Amino acid sequence: MQSYRLLILPFLILAVSFTILYPNFAYRSLKIVVREDVYALPEADQKVLVNALFERWAKDYGKASGWTIEPQDTLPPKENPFYIVKGRFITSAKINQISQENQSLVSESKNKLEPTWIEETIRGGKSLSIKLGLDLQGGMRVVLKGDFDDYTSKLKDLYAKELTELKLTLNNPAAKPEDKEKAKSRLTEIESSFDLSPMRKIVELEKAKMIIDNRLTTQNLTEPQVRIQKEQDAIEVSLPGVSNSAAILEILQNTETVEYRLEEPTPFVYKGQIADSERRMMDLGKRENTDIYLFQELVKNKAGKKAQDAFLEGLEKKYNIPKDFKVYAMWARGNSAKSALLPRSFVVLERKIALSGNDMTNAQPSYNSNSYGWMVSFTLTPNGAEKFFDLTSQNRGRNLAIVWGDKVISNPVINDPIAGGRAEISGSFSEQEAIRLANVISEGALPIPLSVLEMRFIGPTLGIESIEVGVKAVAIGFFLVMVYMIFYYRLGGFIADLSLLVNIIILAALLTLMDFTLTLPGIAGIILTAGMAVDANVIIYERIREEIEEGRALSIAVTRGFENAFWTIMDANVTTLIAGILMIRLGNGPIKGFAITLCWGIVTTLFTSLFLSRLFMELTVNRIGIHHLNLRPFFFGKKETTNA
Amino acid sequence: MHNINFTKYKYFTLSFSFLAIVFGFVVTFAKYGGFAHSLDFNGGLRTVVELPADKTRNDLEGYFQSKKIEAVVILLEKEKNIYQLDIGLGSLETIEALYKEIPEDSRESSTSAIDRFVQLLRYEYKLPKEKVLSADQVGAVVGGELTEVGITLLLTTLAIILLYLSIRSQFKFALASSIALVHDILMTLALIGFLQIKPSVPIIAALLTLLGYSINDKIVVFDRIRENAHGKDNLALSNIINVSITQTLGRTINTSFTTMISVVAIIVGGAVELYDFAFVLLFGVIVGTYSSIYIAAPISEIYDQLRKKRFA
Repeated sequence: MQSYRLLILPFLILAVSFTILYPNFAYRSLKIVVREDVYALPEADQKVLVNALFERWAKDYGKASGWTIEPQDTLPPKENPFYIVKGRFITSAKINQISQENQSLVSESKNKLEPTWIEETIRGGKSLSIKLGLDLQGGMRVVLKGDFDDYTSKLKDLYAKELTELKLTLNNPAAKPEDKEKAKSRLTEIESSFDLSPMRKIVELEKAKMIIDNRLTTQNLTEPQVRIQKEQDAIEVSLPGVSNSAAILEILQNTETVEYRLEEPTPFVYKGQIADSERRMMDLGKRENTDIYLFQELVKNKAGKKAQDAFLEGLEKKYNIPKDFKVYAMWARGNSAKSALLPRSFVVLERKIALSGNDMTNAQPSYNSNSYGWMVSFTLTPNGAEKFFDLTSQNRGRNLAIVWGDKVISNPVINDPIAGGRAEISGSFSEQEAIRLANVISEGALPIPLSVLEMRFIGPTLGIESIEVGVKAVAIGFFLVMVYMIFYYRLGGFIADLSLLVNIIILAALLTLMDFTLTLPGIAGIILTAGMAVDANVIIYERIREEIEEGRALSIAVTRGFENAFWTIMDANVTTLIAGILMIRLGNGPIKGFAITLCWGIVTTLFTSLFLSRLFMELTVNRIGIHHLNLRPFFFGKKETTNA
Repeated sequence: MHNINFTKYKYFTLSFSFLAIVFGFVVTFAKYGGFAHSLDFNGGLRTVVELPADKTRNDLEGYFQSKKIEAVVILLEKEKNIYQLDIGLGSLETIEALYKEIPEDSRESSTSAIDRFVQLLRYEYKLPKEKVLSADQVGAVVGGELTEVGITLLLTTLAIILLYLSIRSQFKFALASSIALVHDILMTLALIGFLQIKPSVPIIAALLTLLGYSINDKIVVFDRIRENAHGKDNLALSNIINVSITQTLGRTINTSFTTMISVVAIIVGGAVELYDFAFVLLFGVIVGTYSSIYIAAPISEIYDQLRKKRFA
């Protein structure tokens, strides 16, 4: 470890770290997008909205922040409907604040912090700035209420066929008494499941909570908290510093399910009816009047699920489709794989769900090189496998549609009974869609639809006052520790300070790279890291001093000092690391945040104290040729005598 | 450097610690009926209000103190004078009583505790409705499961440390470190109960930090003991312990001192809401250092003597 060339390594790491940390300090620009409908308002109303924005702006961000906003005091042109805010330290909490205060002017889901060139290059535009937790900067809190009415109606669909059969048996005078008895008890059993006791509701909410937890983990949010509010049948989600709340909400509320439904038997009477009338329209040259065209327009205009459902129900009425069947749209891509996924035709499926998503697990997306498309394969639960085998053996020759959300994505013919419990779904998927479908199958859909009961931005655990004072105090503490180290260990102290700084910089860069959300316990973890890093150096210097006192030559004393201290430092850090890893695995919320910083802090500490400090120290002693290393404090230290 | 006889006082220090812990917990449960209530652990009322510019934090705190309402006041935004007020469940009755004192004509009938609190505030500070930015009855954020997770976590951590240290050094050191760790946690909890410090997220952070610090400290001391004891089985362990502690004393003092500098900076700096955090941490550092020397080391010695007696 005595070569200058090794210095390249720390410099390289530092350079990379600074690059990663750059977006935190960079001068950046934020796009605040104006809602489309604002331009349709009368001029006076527009003016009111714009004035409200700029009044708040002047009050909150005007002078102190050094932020600028363009264009000032007016609405941006319609073709470029956004304001550009430029400045340093633009936080997600501030972005949220601006959009929340001007809800009728700003389209929150489209606001965007423009990525810096670094984020563009290494992350493909994904943010690289350190995120602050709810407890530090506040964030969003959403309370989602379970819609149990919708849930029961879905349940009724699931049991629809069985219920009619059971009622038939009951009303059939020819049926055996014991069959009637059985039917009766089954009937009460099913009906009792429609009746939701508070206990049942909690169970369903628990399931929903788990799924939301899973969905949030894939969103790279470090400390989301998901809790059940028993009193209101609701789930509360806290999202620290989330800026794009609309997108997250959509992900949270997504109740897409996957299910199998049989198509009406051949010859497709109802489907035929619809197709005939569509063809007639086409022959008349009125393509824009066909139902499928109208439906596509509905989808393209993002009219929402309610409007789509209403449209399909309208079709059922128009063609007199019996109650046991339901109209669906078959979705597919156009001729090229890149064209949009749109409804292309209508199919009529049994209302009864043949196999639900609960029967499937463990789905994997995969690329099918034969058809150059993505597909999803999955495993069926034992119960599901049995059902699937029965289904496929009893309905040979019929079509079995796979319904994802409310889209029919594939409608294959059953050729042979399928046993073995594995199956796959091929449709015209993009990679993203295949992944999404696989997620829906694996995680399961939300058992209950959730509606937003309230959405609120909440304040931090500590006020700004405390954070400001706290940061100042920690900085002063740091500075004092560094001064003390130099006072106590002189040159050694300086080297220790150097490696402490490098340590913190690398740690910050690492945490940024991992999309870590910094919380108060996280800061505690960093403080502990700093403490242990200083301790490691103290241990080393005490050892070196002992060696010097025993009369060893300086270069040997340094080497031996590091060697003697090595295992002590290792033991201390590895034990703490074990405790930290346990905390990550078992802990939640605050414990996790602390443990993650601590664990990475230990990794960086080991590197800086065992490698970096040693490199600096040995270079100083052996290359620069320091002959007298005094590791005694100024003023109090007795004279050291070292043999060069 | 002269060796200091640290183990001489072992029975005194061990019983002192034991009594201090028992005393702390007895006071906590007998006098206060348990740990302090806090919003994070037990739930409570939370409001965010915008106060007139001439009202300060001190006014608010003075008001709550005079009315004997336990409240945590957090300044959210300086320019607009916005405060968050957290009220523990323990003060509900007081609020109820105060609500009834409001003249009939200036209060609306309301049933929920949070409504009553808001009315009380509005009456006291003459706030128009829109200055009350939010009012919630909030549930516990970290309570409940945390206690359970905390205990599992602590036990598993101890078990793993015990195993790791038994492999790396000797069982007696591992055992002594673990007991000393438990000692540190109990001692700090006793203090938290004794002083009725409100458990909160920052307090959890402080407990975790001192756990990490304490492990670190114990291992450094034990590593030196192990090193010094190497090949000297016939030497009395107490002697080795004393030599080792003396040798590492410089380091111990330095590290405790540097850690304390940062912690004291927070306390002196005056970050009101971080005060409890820093205070617990400061106490933890002192206890951690004390227990490495006066608890962990003597226990390993006692264990050693007991074992020797059994095989003698």
